[in-house]
Amino acid sequence: MENRETRIISGKGQYIDDLEFHDMAYLAFVGSPHAHAKILGYDVRKALETPGVLTVITGKEIVELTNPLPVQADLSAPGWTWRLAKVYALAVDKVRWYGEPVAAVIAEDEHTAIKAAELVEIQYEPLPVVTDMTEAMKPGAPLLYDDWEDNKQVHLKFDFGDVDAAFKEADHVLKVSYREGRVSAFPLEARGFIASYDKNMESLTMWGTFQTPFMARHNIAETLGLPEVKVKVIAVDIGGAFGNKIHTWKENVVALGSKLIGRPVKWVELQREWFATGPHQRDVVWDGEIAFKNDGTLLGVKATVIHDLGVESTNKGIAATSIFPACSAVANAYHWKGMHIEGLGIVTNKSFYCAYRGYGKDKGVKFIEHVLDQVAKELHMTPEAVRFKNFIQPDEFPYKQINNYTYDSGDYPATMNKALEMADVDSWREKQKELREQEKYIGIGVAFTIEPAGVAIRNCQMGGITEARVKIAYDGTVEVHSDRTEIGQGADRSHAIIVSDILGCNIEDVMVAPVTSDWIGQGPLSSRGAVYPASAVAKAAKMLREKVLTYSSVFLEDERENIEIHDGMIYSINDRQKRLTYKELAQRAYFFPGPRGLPKEILKKHDHLLDVTTTWYSDVTAETGASYTTFCSSADIAVVEVDTETGITQVLKYVHVHDAGKITDKQIVDGQIHGGIVQGIGEALSEELVYSENGKLLSTSHADYLMPTAVDAPDILVGHLETPSPFTELGTKGMGEAPIIGSKAVILSALEDALSPFNVRVNESPATREKVRKWVLGAKK
Amino acid sequence: MKAPIQLTVNQKEYALEVEPSAMLLEVLRDQLKLKSVHRGCLEGECGVCTVLLNSEPVNSCLILAVQADGAKIITLEGLLKHGELHPLMKSFVENLGFQCGYCTSGFLMTAYSLLNNSKKPTEEEIRKGIEGNLCRCTGYVNIVKSIQAAAEEKDSGNWW
Repeated sequence: MENRETRIISGKGQYIDDLEFHDMAYLAFVGSPHAHAKILGYDVRKALETPGVLTVITGKEIVELTNPLPVQADLSAPGWTWRLAKVYALAVDKVRWYGEPVAAVIAEDEHTAIKAAELVEIQYEPLPVVTDMTEAMKPGAPLLYDDWEDNKQVHLKFDFGDVDAAFKEADHVLKVSYREGRVSAFPLEARGFIASYDKNMESLTMWGTFQTPFMARHNIAETLGLPEVKVKVIAVDIGGAFGNKIHTWKENVVALGSKLIGRPVKWVELQREWFATGPHQRDVVWDGEIAFKNDGTLLGVKATVIHDLGVESTNKGIAATSIFPACSAVANAYHWKGMHIEGLGIVTNKSFYCAYRGYGKDKGVKFIEHVLDQVAKELHMTPEAVRFKNFIQPDEFPYKQINNYTYDSGDYPATMNKALEMADVDSWREKQKELREQEKYIGIGVAFTIEPAGVAIRNCQMGGITEARVKIAYDGTVEVHSDRTEIGQGADRSHAIIVSDILGCNIEDVMVAPVTSDWIGQGPLSSRGAVYPASAVAKAAKMLREKVLTYSSVFLEDERENIEIHDGMIYSINDRQKRLTYKELAQRAYFFPGPRGLPKEILKKHDHLLDVTTTWYSDVTAETGASYTTFCSSADIAVVEVDTETGITQVLKYVHVHDAGKITDKQIVDGQIHGGIVQGIGEALSEELVYSENGKLLSTSHADYLMPTAVDAPDILVGHLETPSPFTELGTKGMGEAPIIGSKAVILSALEDALSPFNVRVNESPATREKVRKWVLGAKK
Repeated sequence: MKAPIQLTVNQKEYALEVEPSAMLLEVLRDQLKLKSVHRGCLEGECGVCTVLLNSEPVNSCLILAVQADGAKIITLEGLLKHGELHPLMKSFVENLGFQCGYCTSGFLMTAYSLLNNSKKPTEEEIRKGIEGNLCRCTGYVNIVKSIQAAAEEKDSGNWW
């Protein structure tokens, strides 16, 4: 069978844009030109009268025919603020951000739908706009949600350890602040869906860029008021996701459209709309203090992180929840005595917050890594010396970290040492001294990242659910199902490797099925693929292998202990002539002789089919209540050169050493590392979503939102360590986010090191060339 | 009022009727069903729609179909030889030069042209040559590796 790689490379990808159904109509959205306004009325006559237009859907129809979007997380708790808003799939009564969809036109073809969308007339009464989170928090600020007293959606507070004791012991207390600009993933394929409502069966089937089909099914069914069992969601080939395709929102309108006209309806998003109405991320401001000792021992942190959520973030997606790991992430890889961290989420007139690689786990790490650089400077220590002084040691695992996570395994000193060696930091520091004398500025940055994976929390759609099925067909081919949607991260190949390794069958005979809502699970979000889905698939394969051995011992007439499997051949170690291919085994088990050929003990247990469906849950979460199960660790070292004339930062060397536990496929893991690192470099140096003062998005295309090209991206040296996780089925750890976290931290760290003769603290991103110029010009040498 | 144009696409000749405002991208996708040519930004910024037009890589979203009248076009489908993967394609598979695959057809067309026009380009030349193709998944490392490996194949005569 052809695998995904050869299929895609031959041009046989089936992305949503490629699918054409008989009798299909096309949808185009109408976006709000205002960042904040009341909707006074709609006039859709011109649009409706356009030849080829089938229907127009506005907020009116949405309220009549659909339910508010269901809440995806409710983390209200004593002492915490967690506000929910009533939100529909289209704007109703009010628009709250530039580009917010207010109507949808469905027509015979895409061109007509887009043209007619421009003819929809909407009367607005503009309202005052608030695009800055500090402004949004002031009393008297324009309120986004009338039933909220202010614009604070979330306020979480965490007390870890004993922060007062920590600060009492301190030799030093440093004030720190840090900010990250607004960015997002914007994979090159935006969103797209086809909905087909069957009027006779009263059922809805959807195809599209669904990163999480099972969750999407629930959210769509509840929004459309359909029984969930009558809704099926199918993920097609997806052109990248990175978390940007987790939320469920616009597709409800596509589904409603199909229900109204009784024909399949397709919507493929154009790039400009993706920038304006896609999920946004980062955009945080940290303020705090760190307490430490003269010898570099870290004691405690008090900090507040404020997130600019844009519009509400609990209904379209689950991003308000990311504030939780953002706060917890401050602890990173180190010993601490105490912390007090507060996380706020403020709503403003910008696109909504959801997930982007890192999700929340990234923010605390970037903050603390920057802070540790300041500690190092204060104490005249190297940045790595501060890390080494405070690392959790290899013999301490499993380690109950101060933030209530239980870190599974790792060897942080070895990981860091390997990176330092690979990067030859000492030589670069020598070179730095020489170049400074020529007024040339290079900098060396060091960063360390812990990436939690395998999220399972309560009162949220990310509760730790997964399901897997492995089944052998009559012809010996093997079918694998799970909730781990292939989004380019190698899910299909990973599961094929896991199953063929365990079953001993040929990998070419394994078909990993496209992921649909048929299988319970959270999808590949938060790097959980190698934790929950992979563990469930491995477990199912192991259980199936037991059956294979049992049936084979019956059909080969030999003791079970004598049966082995290699390269698709099942044989007796005592007599190699006694053997079966997987196909031959399956033929016997199914039909010739079939179940009648199996012993009665098996038949009476109903255990006679070559098919296993199972689930998996994390022991450590069950025992300790930990929100995550595995913890990758990585060290990043970068050398950059800054041209103080142009402000341009170039990466001269990049080293990344990674511990992702047991690796399933090194090439896949390296690919994730390369990709995440370049995304992080983009965030550090050039990517930013900029809004004007009146809330108009100015970054609406690749010409404004600058993602790294092949010229911007450096070559990357990757090293590996494997400390298997004791908590997953195979020792694998969820990975993929550490690279984007560490890279952003390390580039900014290197830049700060390069500019140290200018005494610049690089505590904001992106550090664009304009900003670097400004810092250099404004600094005292 | 449709306009008649002639295109040679993947060595086959077509006589087509197109809207004067239609871009080459949509004609290739919708009329010739060459779905490997993907729609991206539609503004010439991302390179996802790259095809070869008279041997030069172009953003097909920026070329009017009528402008391409008489041209020789190659898309990814054209690199297959009776279903067999082109050495460039094999190289991308072996070196994991793609992940989600959405930008991949564009990269392969650019790389194909680059390798046809230069003998064993350096890493710097490769990166410069593919600068107009964005990738969000791979960080470019394996794309460069795939192109370098393909250059070796071409050098040893394994090419078409």
